[in-house]
Amino acid sequence: MPAWVVRPSDAAEVQACVARAERDGLVLVPAGLGAHLDMGGPPARVDALLCLDRLARVVDHQAADMTVTVEAGCRLAVLNPTLAARGQWLPLDPPRVARTTVGGLVAANLSGPLRATQGTVRDLLLGIRVVGGGGALVSGGGRVVKNVAGYDLPKLHVGALGTLGAIVEATFKVRPRPAREEALVIACRDAADAAELASSFLDADAPPFWIEIDGTDDGPVAVSVGLAGIEDEVLHAREIARRIAARRALRAVDDAAVRRAELVDFGGGSFAAVLRAAVLPREIGDVLVALTKAGIPLRFEAHAASGVVRAAIRDAAAVAPLVRSLRPDIEARGGSLVVERAVPAVKQEVDVWGGPGPALALMRGVKAALDPAGVFAVGRFVGGI
Amino acid sequence: MPSSGLVARLRAIVGTDGVVDRPEALLVYECDGYTLERAAPDVVVLPRSPAEVSAVLRLLASERIAFVPRGAGTGLSGGTLPVGAPVMVCTSRMQKIESIDVANRRVVAEAGVVNQWITNAVRAERLHYAPDPSSQPACTIGGNVAENSGGPHTLKYGVTTNHVLGVELALPTGELVMLGGAVEERPGYDLVGLVVGSEGTFGIVTRAVLRLVRTPEACRTLLAVFDSVDAASEAVSGIIAAGIVPAALEMMDRLIVAAVEQAYHAGLPTDAGAVLLVEVDGPAAGLDVHAAAVRRVCTAHGAREVRTARDEAERAALWKCRKRAFGAVGRLAPNYCTQDGVVPRTRVPEIVKRIAAAAERHRLRIGNVFHAGDGNIHPIILFDERDRDETSRVLAAGREILEACVELGGSITGEHGIGVEKMAQLPLLFGPDDLRAMMALRAVFDPERRANPHKIFPDAKVCVEARAPRRQAPL
Repeated sequence: MPAWVVRPSDAAEVQACVARAERDGLVLVPAGLGAHLDMGGPPARVDALLCLDRLARVVDHQAADMTVTVEAGCRLAVLNPTLAARGQWLPLDPPRVARTTVGGLVAANLSGPLRATQGTVRDLLLGIRVVGGGGALVSGGGRVVKNVAGYDLPKLHVGALGTLGAIVEATFKVRPRPAREEALVIACRDAADAAELASSFLDADAPPFWIEIDGTDDGPVAVSVGLAGIEDEVLHAREIARRIAARRALRAVDDAAVRRAELVDFGGGSFAAVLRAAVLPREIGDVLVALTKAGIPLRFEAHAASGVVRAAIRDAAAVAPLVRSLRPDIEARGGSLVVERAVPAVKQEVDVWGGPGPALALMRGVKAALDPAGVFAVGRFVGGI
Repeated sequence: MPSSGLVARLRAIVGTDGVVDRPEALLVYECDGYTLERAAPDVVVLPRSPAEVSAVLRLLASERIAFVPRGAGTGLSGGTLPVGAPVMVCTSRMQKIESIDVANRRVVAEAGVVNQWITNAVRAERLHYAPDPSSQPACTIGGNVAENSGGPHTLKYGVTTNHVLGVELALPTGELVMLGGAVEERPGYDLVGLVVGSEGTFGIVTRAVLRLVRTPEACRTLLAVFDSVDAASEAVSGIIAAGIVPAALEMMDRLIVAAVEQAYHAGLPTDAGAVLLVEVDGPAAGLDVHAAAVRRVCTAHGAREVRTARDEAERAALWKCRKRAFGAVGRLAPNYCTQDGVVPRTRVPEIVKRIAAAAERHRLRIGNVFHAGDGNIHPIILFDERDRDETSRVLAAGREILEACVELGGSITGEHGIGVEKMAQLPLLFGPDDLRAMMALRAVFDPERRANPHKIFPDAKVCVEARAPRRQAPL
């Protein structure tokens, strides 16, 4: 538990906090509303939580340019209606959306079903302002949709869990919301059947807007597909989807956003850990089968087009053994198995990140370059960074 | 000048035919697509594999010799100009497409593979590699990664960085390190994202893992003729406001249209103020609705004519006009310089006026061909490099145009990179703290600054020799 919570009201105050922490040798963990503090390794030390929730403005929405600049503490619950009023959206559908801020979205690299066709934070982030080591306010990227001036600093902060600085502002490209978006939920025999069905969808001439697999270790498994566009496109996509689903039972969901939210928050509130496996898209069937045959009660959910499988487990004691049994095979394939979220007890038992890969030395170098004094979230990241 | 001992040791690594050191042969390497500054390297090395790149860099590291990486030399910001780097390492012989994974839509290619070859290799599977710079029949994947290249179809599909999942990087020490890979996400900092667009200042990318994209079922290509750039720009805004994201949205102004018509006889009206090329793609169902909407918006904004390509041949003819616009311009003057800047899409009319004013002030002819959907402008400045005074006016006009881009909230480069060309302008966008962070990152990869030195960051630029006039580099 941190001794302090600091809530600066603007970038200059964030700079002052960081400079002071550095002078006093304190470790800060940047946060928004605290919804994603259960991600990452156990910090080596936390002296203060640097809460950015008071930096809450939508700074500039240029609808005609399809860009938006937002302060880090702005909640998506505030940003999304602003964009929707102009028929646009930031097509990212993270877990715990109601308590997620823009800074958290970037720092935790959050995504959901929409990533299948809309990309992830790295594809939508145009520019960033970050308070880094020494309290310096550093800008990277810009506010235009295309820009290759200087190094792509914004990318480094995506998923860095605040270990390279405190994000104070971000600029995104936004997109027009589809005129219509509906979903079909298709019942499958088991995980293998679902993976096979997902492959058929991905091979189709017009792949769905998004495609997810969800289920439990011993219960029903479903493939959900999102269909979006103008009326003609949705009708056509529905026809194709029904054909691909063949004789499997299916139900239509009018409001696809509701289904996406169910999927992305699949674990509900009560779990000891969420595991996250990343493999090639066509290998998710193997991961799903391994998970369901492990003999541990769990729920799972997969971004089929991206090769990402998540599993929520209630029994804290079961997590570490499961990770240890699955991780070697997944890593041998060039993938990863990360403990995405967990209660502290689990993090004491198992390395949440797994093998850091060949680039660890460079990553340590990046950390030392941008946070030489070690002010930011020390120990939370890969390899103890 | 490197010692004969060094040349012999380089030959031992890459073979006798892999080292160029005769002065007349080195002239080929004295510039890339940016021809205003020239400097020949002392020696060019052409490794045949990542292992040979590694061996070459190890040798250079032991002698503390700086190097400049180069692919096909189609870059447009002088990124391969050997300034303070006697050795050029050219990846153009590394041409293997190492693997194609159709099911997972991945390709692993060596750095010297030409962009277009990737799409050629997977076309039968109805896949393609999306970034399509105008130089795609010649430019290499290594160069694309270094510059984070774009192209006309990036409005919908993104630029190089959105399609590179992994790179193998030869660090200046010669060590090969794999960053990222075929799997879409992995724990750790996004070093792939950092290396893409780093213009060869972190080392040499030897291999890349690329994402392939499903080729859309169908597309509609329209060409709309307007009386003015303003009217065409309004149409662009109208298309975006209608919620349509075209696969491409390209504009050419009067000077370019006339040049293109003269060169290719595509039947374009030479008195048109501006021509818009619009492509929508996706599932066949609904495509006609989108195309009709585009046509309606164009007509509402004063298009005097809107053509729709009826088949693939007509589509190819329309695209040829756009993609070969640079070639057509080559007929108008002995030399041209392609500028690259970005403004917010809605400020296109304003920047076009500022460009016209700069042209008038400096007594230059400037044409405009650009990615209107992205606000990415490409003023093409015509000149004759034998005229020293005109050449200096070209540089001055280019600088003013970039300053105007920044004033309007944009950037000094959208896809060509900083190279040597725009080093002095980088501080227009970034302050001392921003530049310090970038330099610190550079030092992580290249503490001795031997990889493509004197690029990107403003420094006391080493004098580059201006040589006798030569032929315009083809592009």
